[in-house]
Amino acid sequence: MTYDVAIVRQPLNALFDLKGSPAAIQNWAADVLPTLPERPNSRTGQASVELYHVGRNHWIARAPLEQEAELEKHLSPTNCPAEISIVRVSDTLTFFRVVGPQADEVMSIACPLDIHETEFGEETVTYTELFGLKALIMRCEDGFEFAVEQSFGDMAEDYLSRAVA
Amino acid sequence: MMLIPCPFCGKRNESEFIFGGAVGADRPDPNSVNDAEWVEYLTVAPNPLGPVQERWWHARGCSEWVTIWRDTRTHDIVEAPDDSE
Ligand SMILES: [Zn+2]
Repeated sequence: MTYDVAIVRQPLNALFDLKGSPAAIQNWAADVLPTLPERPNSRTGQASVELYHVGRNHWIARAPLEQEAELEKHLSPTNCPAEISIVRVSDTLTFFRVVGPQADEVMSIACPLDIHETEFGEETVTYTELFGLKALIMRCEDGFEFAVEQSFGDMAEDYLSRAVA
Repeated sequence: MMLIPCPFCGKRNESEFIFGGAVGADRPDPNSVNDAEWVEYLTVAPNPLGPVQERWWHARGCSEWVTIWRDTRTHDIVEAPDDSE
């Protein structure tokens, strides 16, 4: 069966992995980050910076690659307080968009999550699995966006293209 | 298929988790137990017919460790038995 979708590999993003208590992170980085998302597996955004709450005391900040140096300067990973951890991880994840009228059907082949709108809304971001690989998934305009470990990028693309062929 | 309740993510498919083994006895002080008791602690895992307490790691999720009770007869996730610690 063929599906009416497009699979589009995304360019690199500026990504920072943030760990620590919400208060400590807010104290250190409030001026460059959106308000911390409180609900597990949700996101907030401000200007072009997004923040994903992906685990207990664990967030991922994402912005266009052009902002990496500026963000790094402000987040200052090497000088941050000992109770928090900030690591630049821009090179570790490859993002894809699966968009089109049947994007949800294709994602349902790959992923065990219930991705109906009522369970998986606009603001949801979560780690789950995609063809058995750990993947970060969320909605985007006209479909879904997901990220896998960079070295699995070609494999994920291959799986997807076989699933939709 | 099991849906395992993660304290951070809610109920998730078992395939997102890695089994971390049954919850056994606490490690005894090796100087205060005899050899048989020590070998028992090292090598005998709980294997009841009925509820067993287990650890699961939400590896392809939020990375939290989860402790549940699972009934080995039905595969259901159940409440802790009344006599459990
Ligand atoms: Zn979880």
